[in-house]
Amino acid sequence: MKKLLIVLITALFLLPLASSAFAAGGAGPDKDLLKGVFLQVDAASHTAVFKRDAVDQTITYNLGSKMKAQDLPLNKKVMVSLDKEAGEGVIKDVDRMFLDMNFKNILSLIIVGFVGGLLSGFIGSGGAFVLTPAMMTLGVPGAVAVASNMCHKFPKAMVGTYKRWKYGQVDLKLAAVMSVTAIIGVQIGIQVQKAILHAWGNAGSNLYVSTVFVIILVLVGGYVFFDAKKLAKGADVSGNQTSKLALAMQRINLPPMMHFKVAKVKISAWITIPVGLATGMLAATIAVGGFIGVPGMIYVIGASAMVASATELGIAFVMGAWGSIQWGLSGLIDIRLALLLLSASLIGVQLGALGTTYVKDYIIKMVMASVMLIVAVSRGFLVPGYLGDVGLRAPIDPATAALFSQISFWSLVTALFTSSGIIIVAMISGMTKSRREERLVAKEVINNG
Amino acid sequence: MQNKQAKKPYLQTIIFGAVSLTLYIYLFRNEKLVMDTFTLGGWYTVLPIGTAFLFSFIHGAFASNMLTSLGLEAKKK
Repeated sequence: MKKLLIVLITALFLLPLASSAFAAGGAGPDKDLLKGVFLQVDAASHTAVFKRDAVDQTITYNLGSKMKAQDLPLNKKVMVSLDKEAGEGVIKDVDRMFLDMNFKNILSLIIVGFVGGLLSGFIGSGGAFVLTPAMMTLGVPGAVAVASNMCHKFPKAMVGTYKRWKYGQVDLKLAAVMSVTAIIGVQIGIQVQKAILHAWGNAGSNLYVSTVFVIILVLVGGYVFFDAKKLAKGADVSGNQTSKLALAMQRINLPPMMHFKVAKVKISAWITIPVGLATGMLAATIAVGGFIGVPGMIYVIGASAMVASATELGIAFVMGAWGSIQWGLSGLIDIRLALLLLSASLIGVQLGALGTTYVKDYIIKMVMASVMLIVAVSRGFLVPGYLGDVGLRAPIDPATAALFSQISFWSLVTALFTSSGIIIVAMISGMTKSRREERLVAKEVINNG
Repeated sequence: MQNKQAKKPYLQTIIFGAVSLTLYIYLFRNEKLVMDTFTLGGWYTVLPIGTAFLFSFIHGAFASNMLTSLGLEAKKK
């Protein structure tokens, strides 16, 4: 078994060499992005003098036809994308890289960080799907938002994994196998994304991502929801029942067999590896691999929701650290954003982790399902716009489009707050019950003693 | 049950909290220098990643001790 792990880890470190370490999508920024500062703008000739990071000489670029000279920020760090189709040295777009920190920004980051951490500690993943759009709403460019989110995710996941490992819920071996295969899956996912981008352009790619998002989240989230409901009503008091699919998978005796002690599962590597690959492919597409990883570990491999969500934190740590290095190499991490998020999410993640010790397994499934379904709704509102972009329906008018994107963003926020509400209520009722039991036991001891 | 109160890690919470707060203030006081060097890419990647690790240990320890001090602990089996 160790041999297989060694082979997988070697493959993992060779992969970035084989493919590009700076590939677009989930694992790194676009190659055509330039970072640096504008030193001078000439409105008359529609040109600007640009000094690239770590390069001594300056370059003069032409501004794209849609750009205004007065909009260029001088002496502020910017990201510049060039318009390859318009000719040599023409700027398509300029983004301020790092936003100014004001009280509102700091407070928003701390609040989202806490709620995201709570969710993460409880269901293993979460927060990521709302943190990136939330940061973008504050004015952070997409690439920096993804990079900073990633850099906040791995320390949070590390602390969360440690806590849940102490509670005996993390299957480290399963986490290792899943994360290595998931990283390979990310590479495959990026290639698929690139092929789609190449064939159907940006609009096609957006449509593909949203469609995958909605279909997977509705199917998997719906299934988890019905399962949780059944368990809540069912006779099984522990709320933990191995699915029929997982039992069938465990019967397949195809070597090499893997034994996961904490998850209490013995299963063929041929079943485990595809689950990891799928997790990675989804992570590359929609940036939240946990939405397939956790249900995959529960329903295909046969771990309990408790172990699956705890193990997912370990996977998030490995994948987050790997991703952060990729983004860091391009210098896109805004450490201030990452640290402000961490300031509250490190508290949230530990609170979520200890919360799992007070609840039944099906509550974790319930929270997971509600998050997935609301996120699906959020993404669904973006589909009509994308359909319009590729010409499959009449383009929607800008006012409706703006409304849809508002609904989409706020439903993400709703997902986050609803689920943390469920977690807090479940945790408080679990704690109260456990305290009452403790007191009863103490009383009995006194009475009997 | 009685000595539960005495075990609460108030001192650790204060120490880790103070160190963590100092680090936060120090970093944000030197915001410009930090942002300029941390975003150079290449080997400079070590800086943001290392900082994230450092803060997660210090601030994580503070958070853990704080929760315990507040009486929020995992259910005992």
